[in-house]
Amino acid sequence: MPVLRDGRVEFVVDLRVYRLAAVQKTAYRLAARCTAVLGDVTESSVSVNLTFPKATTEAHALEVARLFFQELLDQELREQIAAETAPLRNLILAYAYSRTGLPSDGRK
Amino acid sequence: MIRAPFRPLEDFAPPREYRLLPLRFERLYGEEYLVTNDVGEYVVIERGELEKFVARRLEPDSDTYRALKARHFLFDNASDVALDLLTIEVRSRAERIAEFTGLHIFVVTLRCDHSCQYCQVSRQSVDRGRFDMSEVHADKAVEFAFRSPNLNIKIEFQGGEPLLSFAIIRRVVERAREINEAAKRNLRFVIASTLHHLTEEILSFCKEHGVDLSTSIDGPTDLHDAQRRSPGGESHHRTVEGIARARRVLGHDRVAALMTTMPASLPRVEEIIDEFVKLGFHSIFLRGLSPYGFAARSLVHRYGVEDWLDFYRRGLAHVLRVNAAGYVLREDYTTILLQKIFSPLGASYVDLQSPAGIGIGGIVYNYDGAVYASDEGRMLAEMGDDSFRLGHVDTSTYEDIVTSGALVAPLGDTILECMPMCNDCAFLPYCGSDPVFHRATQEDTIGHKAFSAFCSKQMGMLRHLITLLETDPAARQILLGWV
Repeated sequence: MPVLRDGRVEFVVDLRVYRLAAVQKTAYRLAARCTAVLGDVTESSVSVNLTFPKATTEAHALEVARLFFQELLDQELREQIAAETAPLRNLILAYAYSRTGLPSDGRK
Repeated sequence: MIRAPFRPLEDFAPPREYRLLPLRFERLYGEEYLVTNDVGEYVVIERGELEKFVARRLEPDSDTYRALKARHFLFDNASDVALDLLTIEVRSRAERIAEFTGLHIFVVTLRCDHSCQYCQVSRQSVDRGRFDMSEVHADKAVEFAFRSPNLNIKIEFQGGEPLLSFAIIRRVVERAREINEAAKRNLRFVIASTLHHLTEEILSFCKEHGVDLSTSIDGPTDLHDAQRRSPGGESHHRTVEGIARARRVLGHDRVAALMTTMPASLPRVEEIIDEFVKLGFHSIFLRGLSPYGFAARSLVHRYGVEDWLDFYRRGLAHVLRVNAAGYVLREDYTTILLQKIFSPLGASYVDLQSPAGIGIGGIVYNYDGAVYASDEGRMLAEMGDDSFRLGHVDTSTYEDIVTSGALVAPLGDTILECMPMCNDCAFLPYCGSDPVFHRATQEDTIGHKAFSAFCSKQMGMLRHLITLLETDPAARQILLGWV
């Protein structure tokens, strides 16, 4: 159970469950609520340090930490979908733009 | 060998496997999630259903499966037509980029006799003719406008008060029509004016050349006059008088009006809407303050995104009540969002494009001959930031302007699919980039969306609109009539 200590909430995220990209995107999305410092990356984990302004209450900080994990779930699912559908997206875009007459390889 | 008269029964069984198509999702409300694809089709499903869908555990005969398949979120061995349809729709939505600049704004003068609290322009007193566009610059700007390949050219006159420089408007309209005899474009003209300086001569000219008028009404008399101060203090009365005269000569629907939301407007949205109804308008654009211009920059901090969203939600509710009572009234920004959600071509609104609509959606020819990528870019320049100045009609060719670094660099930066946070946002197909806003507020054309008022407003409005569409059948029926 994370706690607020010296304006910070620290926890470790299991990289066997969540991709590092999902952790990074979650930190970016929550930037208006806290500053997330990611560090100590190993094969199976990354430490996360959420830093808050001095006046922040513990209840607020822990609510942001809860939101972090909620958002992390969404981000992981997004990563999963993106990885799976990337070839199809590229295929659709390639088809869509294949007859635009745009020059390619510098040739007209 | 005898051929079987019918295909085997298993050919008609529900498919057992399906593949995901590209999608994005976002929590809408509670456990309900909005799922969108690249061309703006959407479904709203529960989080549990979303997880089952991604994990391939959806039953092919379930309603969710059918909805996801119908809107191109999956394809199965029964049909892979979704790929072809998505391709066509992506291409249709992107065609607007190749059409290039359709809106050409001519700032014919900075002179104005109003001193509006929120004015974004460095207005000049009415007798300072050096703040008028010269004939030479006007002629060159018209030539530039017709270099755009767009088949639809709209020339909009702004100021200051453009009617104080009517001779230049006349010259631009006549020159544009002359060029258009050979160019054969769909040519339209609009003058954005207080309508205080309308004369019979101007109205006759507008009628002869098909020039539309657009004006500002900020609400009932006291609110309007407090926000739009003019000599004599009768701004509302004189504008209303101008609307009536213009309608008599040009026709009822040739005069449009918009409003600007000041802090004093916030508690009065219902009264503002009622004023538009009283004046016989059938549309209203609930428009927030922009963070440009010296006065506006301080005013914009006097209300936050939540204040604005509350104003918008109450306003939209009132507009819907007005419609339910039998008077047809559209809220223009909502209409734009609905077009982006439901129209296969999206919407042409310059501020909601990807890449950004600056330069390629609209372009501005300033009174002094300078060319800007957008009206807001011109205002930013008034504040000392020339980031969106593309060149000058005296010294730059059309090619210089449209390939200038000040245009190409922000365009490359503002493709939503490549922007952090936007690229995986479910609202992406209904949104756009606003590099000038983010330059003004964060000193960066992309901006960090977690801190962006533009992003918070867009998401707040879209979340409210889609929730209404999904949960309020009466509202849905009215809203779909606006598309």
